[in-house]
Amino acid sequence: MTSAEITGEGIWLAEPPSEPVMVHFDDRYLWSFTPSRDGHARDGGTFVPWPGNLVRFLDGVVQIRLQDVAGEQVWWDAEHRFGTSGERVAVVDKDGVPLSIDKVGHLGRSFLETPREIKQELLEATLEVLDVLREECGVDAYLCYGALLGAVRDGRMIGHDSDVDLCYYSHRTTPVDIIRESYRIERIVRAQGLTVTRMSGADIKVVRKLSNGALCHIDIFGAFTIAGTFYQLGNRSGDFDAPAHLLPLGTVTLEGVEFPAPRDPEAMLAFVYGPHWRVPDPSFVHRDDPRGVVRLDGWFRGFRDGLAPWNDVYDQRAGEVGTGPSDFAQWVGPQIPPGARVADLGAGTGRDSQWFHERGHRVRAIDFSRRSFVRAKQIAGVRAEQVQLGDLRRTLLLGARLARSPHHLYARQLLGCLDAATRRNLFQVGAMGLRGGQSMFLEFSATAPGDPPPPDPAGLVRRLDPALVAEEVEASGGRIDYLVTAEGVDMFDHPDPAVCRMRITWPHPKEKD
Amino acid sequence: MVSARAEKAKDVARKVRERVRATGVLDRSLRGRVQRLEEELEADRQLHRKIAELSDVVAELLIPIQDRDEQKVGQVLAQYRKTI
Repeated sequence: MTSAEITGEGIWLAEPPSEPVMVHFDDRYLWSFTPSRDGHARDGGTFVPWPGNLVRFLDGVVQIRLQDVAGEQVWWDAEHRFGTSGERVAVVDKDGVPLSIDKVGHLGRSFLETPREIKQELLEATLEVLDVLREECGVDAYLCYGALLGAVRDGRMIGHDSDVDLCYYSHRTTPVDIIRESYRIERIVRAQGLTVTRMSGADIKVVRKLSNGALCHIDIFGAFTIAGTFYQLGNRSGDFDAPAHLLPLGTVTLEGVEFPAPRDPEAMLAFVYGPHWRVPDPSFVHRDDPRGVVRLDGWFRGFRDGLAPWNDVYDQRAGEVGTGPSDFAQWVGPQIPPGARVADLGAGTGRDSQWFHERGHRVRAIDFSRRSFVRAKQIAGVRAEQVQLGDLRRTLLLGARLARSPHHLYARQLLGCLDAATRRNLFQVGAMGLRGGQSMFLEFSATAPGDPPPPDPAGLVRRLDPALVAEEVEASGGRIDYLVTAEGVDMFDHPDPAVCRMRITWPHPKEKD
Repeated sequence: MVSARAEKAKDVARKVRERVRATGVLDRSLRGRVQRLEEELEADRQLHRKIAELSDVVAELLIPIQDRDEQKVGQVLAQYRKTI
């Protein structure tokens, strides 16, 4: 036993071990971390914060054990009370099934808690998806990551893993062609009746409900070679000779089922996990080449930036958001003619959508977060939609729909959450959808003399210079009819020293003929 | 003689290099250029997704529209061509 202190914020260890630490709650595996990597120095020891998605469960009593991978060394084993509840802490899903944190930080049902017949169901679902990829899409698809590791190590799924990952090798050699191929694959997979979520320009996720009610996630990652460098999504990149070690595909056996696999699975595992891939390490995280990550981010990503932390905000802090109309909504309300339609962009908890609906407007509540979508859907009379403004395709479709069905556009504290490319998309929606004379109403935290602190939630919203925003609006053909920067409030109605309000219109383009 | 001149010239060049380096101008200039290049490269990378998204919209929407009402789409395209 070592000296440790456990709080609602994290775990402090006086003598942090150099090896991975497995955290068990009431004898059940929950999470693992490596102190030197995941923690920081504090009071002569190391402090490791709880993962953000775990915090909402930490209220009540639980037996906490900190041990090594084999369970031979126990560093801490004692009951702890979080918060004020006298109940046992239960990190479970809505069906009561225990959850654990996987290697990429997601909270899910691990295979340790999965009955054999459900594992078989998952493997059959994986085979079905592989069949679609190989037969219908015509791509070289193979088992990879944890499932491949488990298959090669001992032919079984890894207990602490929680999903199955598939990859396919694309013979395209430029990002734009790789993205278009991924779109094609997505359409074919959808056409089989499967539910698909696009994660980036080169990877999608199939979500299937299993007979025990659990949702299983089957990731389909693109792999390809560009300018001599091999890439495999998530974020792997480097020297891997695909013609020598990947193709033509071979097979491996997992839980008694045969799967397509890289021709030389050991070479792939060494590329993915490093030379020590045979040694179990539940706290393993990939150490990716930052140059490769920057390239992959630039080529394929951007439209989902901030989605996971925003979901955490809605999970953990929705109660801090006011329930009545915001000040901004009350300012905008009288400027919208009675009966006019309103689209609430970045609707969040839907508080202002509801208020506009109560004033007699037909309201669309639009947000990129599924948590927001689920909340807004519960508001009677409000039409909820999930739209990622970072995806130009969705932006163009939204603009086209709004052009046919004119709405006033309302966006409170949205602009500061968007990067420059996504702001351009937002103004594109305005340019397409507001030709009938409707307005876009914006409120955002502004830069100001004295450099005020970033708005809340920190890291997800930034201050913008109103002059920069004005330039972007004008570049899109918009006209600012009203602009004022003054003291106001942030998303949580806390005082903000500089908040900018804008009313923008887009004059109808003059027809030349 | 030639060698002595060459040595003197090298000495002068070295002193000039040291003075320029001491000002930090070259360093700042290079850092600025590398930063600008990185920003431009990043913008170029992002074009891949934009082009893919646009070409997808065209392929998936424009072509089926053409199939359904060739005459009307022909008019729209003719009008579109006039405006570009």
